[in-house]
Amino acid sequence: MIPPAYGPEVASGLWVYLEQEAGRLEGVALELLGRGRELAAQKGTALTGLLPGHQVQDAARVAIAHGADHVLVADHPLLAAYSTEAWTEIAARLILERKPETLLLGATPNGRDLAGRLAVRLRTGLTADCTGLAWEEGTGLLLGEVTGFGGGVMASIKCAHHRPQMATVRPGIFPLPPPDPRRAGTIEEVSVALSPEALKAEVLRRVRQEGVDITRARVIVAGGRGVKGDFTPLTELARLLGGEVGASRVACDLGWIGRDRQIGQTGFVTRPWLALVCGISGATQFTVGIKDAEQIVAINSDPDAPIFEDADLCVMDDLFPVLEALIAELQRGTP
Amino acid sequence: MRPLDTVVCVKVVPKPEEVSVDPETRTLDRARARSELNPPDMNAIEMALALRERHGGTVSLLSMGPPFAAPYLQVGLAMGADSAYLLSDRAFAGADTLATSYTLAKGIEKIGGWDLILCGEESSDGATGQVPQGIAEWLGASQITFATSLAVRADGRLVGEREIRGGHEVIAVPLPAVVSVKLGVNEPRFMDMERRHSAAPVTVWGAGDLGVDPAWLGFEGSPTAVGAVWQARTRERRREFLEGTPQEKGRLLAERLRALLAL
Amino acid sequence: MSESGAPRVLDDAVWEEVVEATRGMAAPCFQCGVCTAVCPWGLVQAEPVSVRRLVRLAQLGVERWGEAIWRCTTCGACEALCPRGVPVSEVLLALRQLAWKRRSVPKGLSTMLWAVHWDGNPWDQPPSARTAWSRGLDVPAFTGEQEILLYVGCTATYDRRSQKVARSLARLLGASGVSFGVLPDEPCCGEAVRVVGQEGYLAEVVEATSRRFRDAGVRRLVALSPHCFDMFRTRYPFDGEIEVLHSTELLARLVDEGRLGFAKNVAATVTYHDPCYLGRRHGLYDPPRRLLAAIPGVTVVEMSSSREDALCCGGGGGRMWLETEAGERFGDLRVRQAEEAGAEVLATSCPFCVLCLEDSAKGLDGRLRVLDLSELACQALGEGRGDS
Repeated sequence: MIPPAYGPEVASGLWVYLEQEAGRLEGVALELLGRGRELAAQKGTALTGLLPGHQVQDAARVAIAHGADHVLVADHPLLAAYSTEAWTEIAARLILERKPETLLLGATPNGRDLAGRLAVRLRTGLTADCTGLAWEEGTGLLLGEVTGFGGGVMASIKCAHHRPQMATVRPGIFPLPPPDPRRAGTIEEVSVALSPEALKAEVLRRVRQEGVDITRARVIVAGGRGVKGDFTPLTELARLLGGEVGASRVACDLGWIGRDRQIGQTGFVTRPWLALVCGISGATQFTVGIKDAEQIVAINSDPDAPIFEDADLCVMDDLFPVLEALIAELQRGTP
Repeated sequence: MRPLDTVVCVKVVPKPEEVSVDPETRTLDRARARSELNPPDMNAIEMALALRERHGGTVSLLSMGPPFAAPYLQVGLAMGADSAYLLSDRAFAGADTLATSYTLAKGIEKIGGWDLILCGEESSDGATGQVPQGIAEWLGASQITFATSLAVRADGRLVGEREIRGGHEVIAVPLPAVVSVKLGVNEPRFMDMERRHSAAPVTVWGAGDLGVDPAWLGFEGSPTAVGAVWQARTRERRREFLEGTPQEKGRLLAERLRALLAL
Repeated sequence: MSESGAPRVLDDAVWEEVVEATRGMAAPCFQCGVCTAVCPWGLVQAEPVSVRRLVRLAQLGVERWGEAIWRCTTCGACEALCPRGVPVSEVLLALRQLAWKRRSVPKGLSTMLWAVHWDGNPWDQPPSARTAWSRGLDVPAFTGEQEILLYVGCTATYDRRSQKVARSLARLLGASGVSFGVLPDEPCCGEAVRVVGQEGYLAEVVEATSRRFRDAGVRRLVALSPHCFDMFRTRYPFDGEIEVLHSTELLARLVDEGRLGFAKNVAATVTYHDPCYLGRRHGLYDPPRRLLAAIPGVTVVEMSSSREDALCCGGGGGRMWLETEAGERFGDLRVRQAEEAGAEVLATSCPFCVLCLEDSAKGLDGRLRVLDLSELACQALGEGRGDS
């Protein structure tokens, strides 16, 4: 066994890493506070947030409102933007000093960047990209539920002797807890000793939300020949579902929409959670671009459309009346 | 600028859709599964070869796995890699991310003289995406994770574009560095058939060759353990048809989408 | 000669490489230019592909062929008229081989080759889903006992539209009482590998596939796709051990022998599109037409260009894996010819043709339906036998 930095006998407390960007907590950090609150209550232990950054006091208060009992704020001008080195350094120092039993992180790119490095520095186990978290009956160990083999196989993973037991959790798995602004909690500023010379990585450029990148969309509303040149309802539907509009080759050929949205063999291969395929017959040249979608919904008026073979939910009908009713229904109660 | 010596860590994985869970024994049934090189590792190999074209140097492949992995490394050699190393020993089996990254780091140290380590962002079987960062820590190297492009700057620093939540950033780090490469960022070149027929042999190293403490390897050395394994769901599409008038179907679909997306 | 500009110094090394790759096939060309004149690209582009010039460059060993070599659909229209018998598409495939060495290859083709390598098909589909096309049909696995191995091919195995062709063909074979089976692990014929200029890798595919057929005890093979058919009939070292037929050859023979009959009237005006790899490549113009004529109720009309002059659908030569700009698709012209001939159904007998022509027919907003001959024949089998 690779010797642990510390073991279960000295460990206590549940920590959540609070990832933030420009002082705003990531959604998954709030989701983890919600689930962490439940897990801490089951164990009768405190829920601590670990918050490195610069000028993040407001975020600390938000964390308390969402379930944290205690927030460790590591504030320093050199922590204005995420870097592996600084974050690993700060987290490792605080963890070795205070010995939490469990540390949860969001499985965002930066959360995973940190978790993998930190786990090795702490010589401990890490369960990655969990889709569920629970305490094991009897042992009280953290059970992380993970998927592998393209989502086909699930497993539960535990870490018996090394602490903290670390897990990263996939965003969107746990519900966002409602904030309670009157919730009480403590904020502790911890000292940060960082020198610019110690930080070797430089951030040259940072861009959030630019252009369309349908390969990263969680929801795709794709249209083909059947939309007859009118992508307006699809665009509205994508907006309502928090997704992007995609298109078949034909729709791009006809100039109805830009090539940056073309899906398939000669376009982009996408991996959305949900693909809503409208008026696309479903030739292989198209379907290779969405075959990894978790859920596929097909709307097509042609009962022989091959897309129905590849869909979870099928609507065989004229596209526009169905879309109209669908959009009207989704708009009800939505701003 | 001096040439760049790169090691690409690759993994031979079973094709995901052909792996199932045996309902009786509750263990993985991968007997019928064909194997392949982990897809993002292919992108890492392509990136390494493209960097070699620009800067010169060498590209080595490194993998940990059973002896049957050797022909898959030959595929990488046929793509253009200069040499390939397979860490193969029963003692390595059952390793989690900590033991895996440790073993690979030891293999890299034994290869020696490297500037850059490239890995795929995650393996399609384990899907942890944590091994590259672990290797970087064991080796004390810089890291760029989820990279979509790489270049070496005139001052010798490695500049990489990487994915962040809802966007991307460009960072520069000193070499040596470990980089995890996003799936699909380039089109891996196909094998050169002349190379395929004349490629160098794969060097196989066991635990004894690495000079490591056996207690730090494989299942024994791993802090985490798999508690239970089960089948997630069938991979077949459901093909469920909604019925009614177009208006009813639209409303029904709205309900289903709300439930699916938790709107 | 119209190649203008500064004088060019010939590079002997390149010349030798080109001559070796083309095996001297370009040598007989005397530059008459009939190839350029008949190349279908001239019908869809203002500037035709100068086939003559590409052959000249191959003769000279001058590497200036650029992306034009990737346009060739290997339709063979030029070869049919070449007075010197130059196998033009073979010359172009040889130049593609060299393009691979230079790493000057269109996006997507490496990915297609990797799909063949890892998955055994060029469509990046799971090998485990090989038999999904036959769900609900009684299609036995080939045991070596049956008379015929039905070779479905990767496109009809995986593409949803083409699966209907495979299902129709299986029903027809069933109805005729022929003993046949399919290989649940059917190996790829490697046609896509060949036409993108990967001769070296093709040898690997051919060896593995031949071995699989030998192990299975195949003596007679019926291919659904003319492309697979062409591979097995002319490019595999079967040495007469395996008889290779295209499905239309077998079906026409079954009709002639009275083993396959049609009970139901299919009232439709039908025109037949000759797939390049059946017609020009193998002279199989008549078996499909005999099959068509046997279907009761069908009125057959011919398009303005047919048989030897048939216009290519645009899907051969690896073009199925490359983007063809809107307005440059041969299929658009072909479906207009079918309409002009007064056809209600454009029938053909190749999965690539069905896909390309149907894609173009959808743009007509007309009534033209594109069907494979097997589908049309299946409709004539009678009640309850049509594909659902």
